[in-house]
Amino acid sequence: MKFSYNWIRELVDGLDCAPGALEKLITMKTAECEGIEVSGALLDRACAALVESVEPIPGGHNVKTVVDAGRYGRKTVVCGAPNCRAGIITAYVPIGKKTIQGVESDGMLASAAELDISRDHTGILELDLQIGAPLPGCFPDSVIEIDNKSITHRPDLWGHLGMAREVAALQGRSLKDPVHVGMLPEGPAPIKIEVENLSLCPRYSALVFENVTVKPSPLWLQTRLTAIGLNPINNVVDMTNYIMAELAQPMHAFDANLLRGGTIYVRPARPGERLRALNEEEYTLDPSNLVIADAGGAIALGGVIGGLDSAISGKTTRVVLESANFLASSVRRTSAVLKLRTDASMRFEKAQDPHNTVRGLARAIELLSELSPGIRLVGGVADRKRELPAAPVIPLPLDFVARKLGREVGRIEVRSILERMGFGVAEADAGIFAVTVPSWRATKDVTIKDDLVEEVGRMVGYDSITPQAPLVPSAAPPRNPERRFQHEVRDLFADLGFTEVYNYSFLSEDAVRAFGSDPAEHIRVTNPIASDQALLRTSLLPGVWKNINENLKHREAFRIFEIGLEIHKRGNSLPEEIPHLLAAIYERQGDGAAGLFEIKRAAECLMPGAQLCPAEARAFEHPARAADVLWKGEKAGRLFELHPSLVETGRAAILDVNLQLAQRLAVGEKKYTPIRRYPSSAFDLSVVAGLRDQAGSLESAIRSFAGPLLESIHFLRQYSGPPLPEGSKSVSFRLTVGSPERTLSSDEVAQVRNQIIEGMRGRGYELRV
Amino acid sequence: MLEQSIQELESSSLARIASARSLEELEVVRVSVLGRKEGALTHMMKELGKLPPEERKSTGKLVNAAKQKLEEALAAREKQFADDTLRARLDTEWIDLTLPAPGPRRGHLHPITQIQQELEDLFVSLGFAVLDGPEAETEYHNFDALNIPATHPARDAQDTFWLEGSNLLLRTHTSPVQVRGMEKLGPPLRIVAPGRVFRNESVDASHEHTFYQIEGMMVDRDVSVAHLLYFMKVMLAGVFQREVSVRLRPGYFPFVEPGFELDIQCLLCGGSGCPVCKQSGWVEQLGCGLVHPNVLRMSGIDPEEWSGFAFGLGLTRLVMMRYGIDDIRHLQGGDLRFLEQF
Ligand SMILES: [Zn+2]
Repeated sequence: MKFSYNWIRELVDGLDCAPGALEKLITMKTAECEGIEVSGALLDRACAALVESVEPIPGGHNVKTVVDAGRYGRKTVVCGAPNCRAGIITAYVPIGKKTIQGVESDGMLASAAELDISRDHTGILELDLQIGAPLPGCFPDSVIEIDNKSITHRPDLWGHLGMAREVAALQGRSLKDPVHVGMLPEGPAPIKIEVENLSLCPRYSALVFENVTVKPSPLWLQTRLTAIGLNPINNVVDMTNYIMAELAQPMHAFDANLLRGGTIYVRPARPGERLRALNEEEYTLDPSNLVIADAGGAIALGGVIGGLDSAISGKTTRVVLESANFLASSVRRTSAVLKLRTDASMRFEKAQDPHNTVRGLARAIELLSELSPGIRLVGGVADRKRELPAAPVIPLPLDFVARKLGREVGRIEVRSILERMGFGVAEADAGIFAVTVPSWRATKDVTIKDDLVEEVGRMVGYDSITPQAPLVPSAAPPRNPERRFQHEVRDLFADLGFTEVYNYSFLSEDAVRAFGSDPAEHIRVTNPIASDQALLRTSLLPGVWKNINENLKHREAFRIFEIGLEIHKRGNSLPEEIPHLLAAIYERQGDGAAGLFEIKRAAECLMPGAQLCPAEARAFEHPARAADVLWKGEKAGRLFELHPSLVETGRAAILDVNLQLAQRLAVGEKKYTPIRRYPSSAFDLSVVAGLRDQAGSLESAIRSFAGPLLESIHFLRQYSGPPLPEGSKSVSFRLTVGSPERTLSSDEVAQVRNQIIEGMRGRGYELRV
Repeated sequence: MLEQSIQELESSSLARIASARSLEELEVVRVSVLGRKEGALTHMMKELGKLPPEERKSTGKLVNAAKQKLEEALAAREKQFADDTLRARLDTEWIDLTLPAPGPRRGHLHPITQIQQELEDLFVSLGFAVLDGPEAETEYHNFDALNIPATHPARDAQDTFWLEGSNLLLRTHTSPVQVRGMEKLGPPLRIVAPGRVFRNESVDASHEHTFYQIEGMMVDRDVSVAHLLYFMKVMLAGVFQREVSVRLRPGYFPFVEPGFELDIQCLLCGGSGCPVCKQSGWVEQLGCGLVHPNVLRMSGIDPEEWSGFAFGLGLTRLVMMRYGIDDIRHLQGGDLRFLEQF
């Protein structure tokens, strides 16, 4: 929202605060300013000038003119405007000399756009002024831009008067209300208003004017609208925009001659009802949209936009001027559904003050008498409304203010602040004010005593509050073991050489399919940023896979990991979010085995005692290199080599761990067992097995035959080649046996060994001792 | 006569020991003097028996003294040879310690992880619990329970990713964790919730649809703006590792009343004005305020009895400020050339 400094200054009596200082004041006390810009910088130097002669300059469309520029004297100016001709009065600006096409040009003849009067840059201005006269009512202005988000809750600040009231209160000055309600005509209204549902349209007020002349607005009005970013159109439309920008009351003018029948209806749209709007779009409506209609159908979309068919035009002589109030949520919904945000809808969705409709009409009478001389009112005000709510009264205990702010504010100061802001203050009980909320703050903005604390707080200034430590018991906060575990995993993997990546939660259907999932099993974003980011990830692998293929362009070998949430669809309830670790080791050289064992080591560091259980490979896994990671009897993860066809070059070993499960399994009581006092005995065994027999299975078989005296078993080495038969290998283990109660005799040791040898033979394995 | 030969033998032997050049030469000396069969001194000891008893004792002493002296000298010389040999052998084991150590270097934690852990530690030390909430949230927790009903224009400010199905969305802020925290823990409470949030915005160097925030809340009896200011100063001093000046300005967030934008005095120019603070001397840092009574009430907390403050801080923005990162897309780009700098 843009605010004109000149406009605010007109409304605040004796305002002497410079634009920069005012911007700072508003930022600190009211709303966030995004910047300040000068509009119409040349206006204080521009004056009316007569074009005395025009002569073409060969080789272009520029002409050499001589103008009589009043106090600036007679000037030679080069001009390129198509409408530049002798005899017209235009605007001259002395901006210095420069040579154009060999002609020395002193100053310029200006278009409306160049002076920030309007956006019209099709030609130079054509004025009806005395030579040398300044452009009346047109001055350079400072435009303060306020962040719309910071005034979402302040319907009154969507107009200059609201901001002026704020500034007046801040500066201790009085507000000059431009509205004179005494101008409203008495008598019966010339049109009928029928509002079907007064909660959707709490008030609809209108006036009828005749003998209207539609023409361009005077320069001062155009300049003012242009400064705040509105486009001047014609005097009637500009007047409605001016009042909207001043009073925050959107208005709409209908060409009365184009309305069918003498009644204006405010009703829900009929299913499929159509409206050609002022923006030249055609909208198909439904009953959730509120329309303004005449006997023939919709003529406007209530609170959003007017219809094209009843719009003001050069032929207009009679005008129905609407000044209404609409339910914020209804306007918001219609504007959102139709994707049609207008200056009107933006204001109505903030909940405007229903008292303001007739104030808008009063202001219009005054403005139109200037903008369209000879205009006449027809009859009185048509005003259909529901009973306007009484001004709310909020009890405000003074100690509540102090407790909330953390500083005392005296009763006189509180009262004076609130009164300056337009609140009524009475001291009902000792120490409790009864605060009456003014209508322009009462729609939504100020409803509870906390809202009043804010008014007092920002006026006394938050810089007057001294930071203070609270007096609360000191207590250790509840722990978050899940998050703590994740941080430990992060540290572990960083220590093991892995670098952490973050990837998006969004995946494409292609990526999902490439990793063997069904897009239908993914949660879909209904309004994705792009069609290839429409699914929520149920695996971190696609993201890390992309990281691998991008980083291998720069690196021979690397290790990366991500910890993030998998988001799984769970019927209609809240999705299930499971934290996962996805780690990868990439190596361009080698056959991939080293990376797999390194990542296995990492898995064992994370889950001591975890075992790999070779499993059927999925399509994206190396068909002979995939295993489930079993920990404490549960499938806690998966370890595999990425299918080599998915990696541009080189090999990538992957570890995927369900951290929710791992965290649960990691929790374990630690218990001390005494260190053994009796020496144990060790011996080695070698099993002759098939080439694809797994060392892990052999080990667990040996373990099962060894019995309770086995202390430990370790893999030593494996070997294949002569003298072993083709297709076989020898796998050697070192076994340690012992007892906590005594030293084992050599017979007992031999017995364990024989048990194993017998047992393994029973399974068809020969042992070499 | 014998005494003299003992002394002569001793001094000549000591000289031979000193001049021996190897263990072998030393062994020759040892055998020739102390050898069991041919040793000169051994021979003399054997001769002692032939002496008269009165001489035997005193001469015996001399011989023993000479023997001990020579044995010590031999041992010392032997040790010298052994030391020399060891030294020579170890010298051959020279290693170039400037060669790189094998194996991978330590990996790097993501900068957002690092700053997040720092803040978590800071808040835990101040008695705050760290909470988590879902990324796919209900519309209720993300909006309604935070005093942002469906008709509220503030919803427009947060371009929301909606999910297929019933009233689900990707959380647009970490604030719903406040609600879940209040529902779970009840008052009094002190919580922070760091996490990933989503806004439907197109991505460029300074805008992301996925970024990180940390949200904090304290609910207790008579929590005031003064308390909020205190915690914000403590937090920011922890973040920036120095005292910071802060100021509050009015700011609008539907879940707090009053609501503030908190600025810190520009750390680059100290408040005198520079390009970073757009010459204002202040840099917008976070949004905060006193918890709106409606929010407390919706979470089952009586606002007449309890009050609180809440704040939300952009972790992504903090990381970018701290390291001078000029393009937000790096953070989720997965490029090791970027990540290894932290
Ligand atoms: Zn600065």
